[in-house]
Amino acid sequence: MSEAGQPATGPVRPLAGAFHVRSDKPFLIGLGILGGGYMLIIMAMVLADLVFLNYDDQPVLGPELVQHDRYEAENAKGALVTVQPGRTYFFRKGNNERGLRNGDGQLQRNGLFVADGNTITLLPREAKLPITGSLRPEARVVDIAVTNGTVTLTTDTRHGLIWGTFIRVYDADRDDWNGVHEIADTTTNQLSFQLSGQPATATELKLSLPNPLIQALRSKDIQFSIKLSLISCTLTTLLSLWVAVPIGYVMSRYEFRGKPLIDTLLDIPIVLPPLVIGLSLLILFRYVPDWLSDAVVYKWPAVVLAQFMVACAFAVRTMRVTFDQIPQRYEQVALTLGCNRQQAFWRVIMPQAKGGLLAAGTLAWARALGEFGPILVFAGATRQKTEVLPTSAFLELQAGRTEGMLAVSLIMIAAAAIVFIIARTLGMKRIFA
Amino acid sequence: MIAVENIALRQGSFELTDIDLKLSAGEYGVLMGRSGCGKTTILEAICGLRKINAGRITLGERDVTSLPPAERGVGYVPQDRALFPTLSVREQLAFALILRKLPQDDIAARVDELAKLLGIIHLLDRDPEKLSGGEAQRVALGRALAHRPAVLCLDEPLAALDEELHEEMCRLLERVHRETGVTILHITHSPSEAKRLAGCHFRMNEGKVVREAI
Repeated sequence: MSEAGQPATGPVRPLAGAFHVRSDKPFLIGLGILGGGYMLIIMAMVLADLVFLNYDDQPVLGPELVQHDRYEAENAKGALVTVQPGRTYFFRKGNNERGLRNGDGQLQRNGLFVADGNTITLLPREAKLPITGSLRPEARVVDIAVTNGTVTLTTDTRHGLIWGTFIRVYDADRDDWNGVHEIADTTTNQLSFQLSGQPATATELKLSLPNPLIQALRSKDIQFSIKLSLISCTLTTLLSLWVAVPIGYVMSRYEFRGKPLIDTLLDIPIVLPPLVIGLSLLILFRYVPDWLSDAVVYKWPAVVLAQFMVACAFAVRTMRVTFDQIPQRYEQVALTLGCNRQQAFWRVIMPQAKGGLLAAGTLAWARALGEFGPILVFAGATRQKTEVLPTSAFLELQAGRTEGMLAVSLIMIAAAAIVFIIARTLGMKRIFA
Repeated sequence: MIAVENIALRQGSFELTDIDLKLSAGEYGVLMGRSGCGKTTILEAICGLRKINAGRITLGERDVTSLPPAERGVGYVPQDRALFPTLSVREQLAFALILRKLPQDDIAARVDELAKLLGIIHLLDRDPEKLSGGEAQRVALGRALAHRPAVLCLDEPLAALDEELHEEMCRLLERVHRETGVTILHITHSPSEAKRLAGCHFRMNEGKVVREAI
């Protein structure tokens, strides 16, 4: 049918003049900005961690010399600080300093310098604001004593170090003294560490503090937590896959009554706050036989169980999607060729699910590595017993050592990166084989 | 032979009842009908991939109604061919034979025989993803024939092939039918294809299968 007056057949005429579509540019630019912005933040985040940490050794510093005051009328030109000429000091700028005057020269950056005269002057940006800069002398070793392999060093000022810190000895006149040592004991201006064997006395040496990464990697506690993290995450991953493969397969292939309910149940660990999962486990274990709860709660199995509860839910999701993406046709053909369901699963489906298995494993491993809340509640945070890397990071933060926490975070980033690279390489092999 | 007697099956709201279909041993039957009328469903029921609620299915003198697909002795070539992505062509052809625990030499001999019949000797070590449509069809056919089934079920085997390949595949199917003597049930849309190949035509119409004179 055609409108009256128009011919039923004839050349096709455009509706209204030329037809234009809008340019794709805004759409593509939008995609670029949104996607690129997010990726930029991810990269910047990791980069900031890597850059923030000071990888150089730090000097061992004495007490603070700057009296915290204000730049008032009498010291508007700068605050005087008494120093010893020829001694090394460490200067850190505050919010209101533009640097310091040392003899004829000016220092405008944080760092070490050697004092020229009896005083230095902190230079304010503005008067009538607080003095917030910091000036601390470098602690010098003035006495060295050795008894039974224990070295006791005396410094000329308070050094502020505590036992368990690692210290580097360098420029010693005895080579076997050089290296990183764990401080065993301290007093205000003394510190001691063990040397192996019966070393001869050194008469000269210098001290510095190794960077937080070395501090962390050398620490027995953190070494333990690295070990526990790696082992528990691997165990958790294996357990998760062992459970996730059958559940994912059943949920993908079979229809049965109550399936939506089970589907919801499987998501509970994902939607519940992690802390609540830890608490629920803790309460659940009040109802199990004593021998079981004694073996698990506040011990390493609790770490694995807490990680497993969350990680497994993610592995199940991944495996289910993996199986959903493999058409049922393959199994059907395998069945007509002479397989039973089990054979069809192992011979035809699992080889195709390898990529998904790898993805599920990696995801479970990464989740387990980052698990913190449930472990804290269900396994506690006992050093050398249930301390995993996130716990270490938390304990470092609690002790006020941001740099230590950052060091532990870097170890976790490295561990995660290694696992991802291994998984990707294996995945690539599958693709290019 | 294939004998489907009064079967009834249901899939969601889709229902087929009183389906009858009979093919003598060695016959080439073609089943035609509109899309979505249940042709594939009937094929799946014959292969044992779909539960039937009533009726009886006999394949080559055996009542297979309650047998699992593995024991029915059918070769199934689905429309999408469904070659196993992780196995080479050789492994696909050997798949059914390995399951039957045949000796290595017998498997190799049978694979060679099939490859010769189907003209895929040069493809034996390839991965399925590197096969063209026609090649994949031959391999799927070989895989289904490997265990010498009495019945071969083909679901639109010639769809999505260009004209030249279409003719080539028709000749191949004729040759396979002639040389193996297998009973074939072939689903298609195309009346010309049916005319060309079949000794026996079935048409699905309003939920019933009707035998048509050629």
